[in-house]
Amino acid sequence: MAVRDVLVIVPALNEEESLPALLDEVRRVAPWAGLLVVDDGSLDRTSEVVRGRGVPVLRHAVNLGVGAALQTGFRYAIERGFSIGVQLDADGQHDPGDLEALVTPVREGRCDVAIGSRYVTRTRYRTPVTRRLGMLLFSGVVRLALGQRITDTTSGYRAYGRRVMEVCQHDFPRDFPDAPLLIALGRRGFRFLEVPVQMREREAGRSFYTLGKSLYYPYKNMLASLMALLRAPTDEERRS
Amino acid sequence: MEFLSRAQVVTAACAILLALLVLDLVRRRRLSEEYSLLWVVSTVVVAVLGFSTPLLKAITHALGILYEASTVFFFGLAFATAMLLFLSVKLSRLGLENLTLTRELAFLRHEIESLRAERPTSDGENA
Repeated sequence: MAVRDVLVIVPALNEEESLPALLDEVRRVAPWAGLLVVDDGSLDRTSEVVRGRGVPVLRHAVNLGVGAALQTGFRYAIERGFSIGVQLDADGQHDPGDLEALVTPVREGRCDVAIGSRYVTRTRYRTPVTRRLGMLLFSGVVRLALGQRITDTTSGYRAYGRRVMEVCQHDFPRDFPDAPLLIALGRRGFRFLEVPVQMREREAGRSFYTLGKSLYYPYKNMLASLMALLRAPTDEERRS
Repeated sequence: MEFLSRAQVVTAACAILLALLVLDLVRRRRLSEEYSLLWVVSTVVVAVLGFSTPLLKAITHALGILYEASTVFFFGLAFATAMLLFLSVKLSRLGLENLTLTRELAFLRHEIESLRAERPTSDGENA
């Protein structure tokens, strides 16, 4: 992997404690990948910590949501000619050791989006019952909409091909890029592949998913899934 | 001509006061013309209904409502709902504009930092 065609995008919110170890680990296990941190309006020293390690950082002046942070990363990837963008959570849950396994099927053209799944093989990751139920529900919704079984619809550990990133430039969920995104992409003919990955416990910091959001999540995702089925591509998407 | 009830007079007077307040806010540039339209229309409709007893009775009868006062409240609520929906749409658009601007700012800041890092001391500035 001589050419840097992969950009690892790390959306981060108040992750000054987790990031140093994570960035070092990514550089160690995936020296072939570019790195970008999108600081989504952190109130701590996230940006300074990242800059101190010589990693590019794009800082949102206000918090926009994990989806919007990822979209910012996609734009950076497209502008700088990367052909694959990988989302890696800043809290240390995603194991950078799986990066190559995630990138390979996209690079080989076997899929457009590779989804790192916790449930293809057994991992140490413990999922709360409510979240597990939500995943079962939205896995069913995706299956109904696309006719394809995706076990881990909420996994944020994904590799996106360039065409997908270009489409996501114009339409992307701001908060939860989960089932509705998969339905919207599937309807545009993009192919998915689940890749078994390890998920770890959070290193430090707080998750994007707070209690309030967990109550809003099922409503929003159900409505957005329905809209993804009904919506026609936007003019920008047709042009891109 | 039928006499106006006290409730009608109070309703109509409140509507006129609100219309005057809206117009004054527009005059002082605290409210844009665009946003004032729904307010002015709603106050005028409520004021007309308040002052015109035959019209109020006719509309009440046509809508199958039992009391005239309910008709006034119905129109008031309908306008309030329309205004809330209008504002929700505007807020959604503002949110999208805010997102775009925040992202542009992030890219511009990154560009500036990159340029500064490339030219640390060319014009006497610190890196």
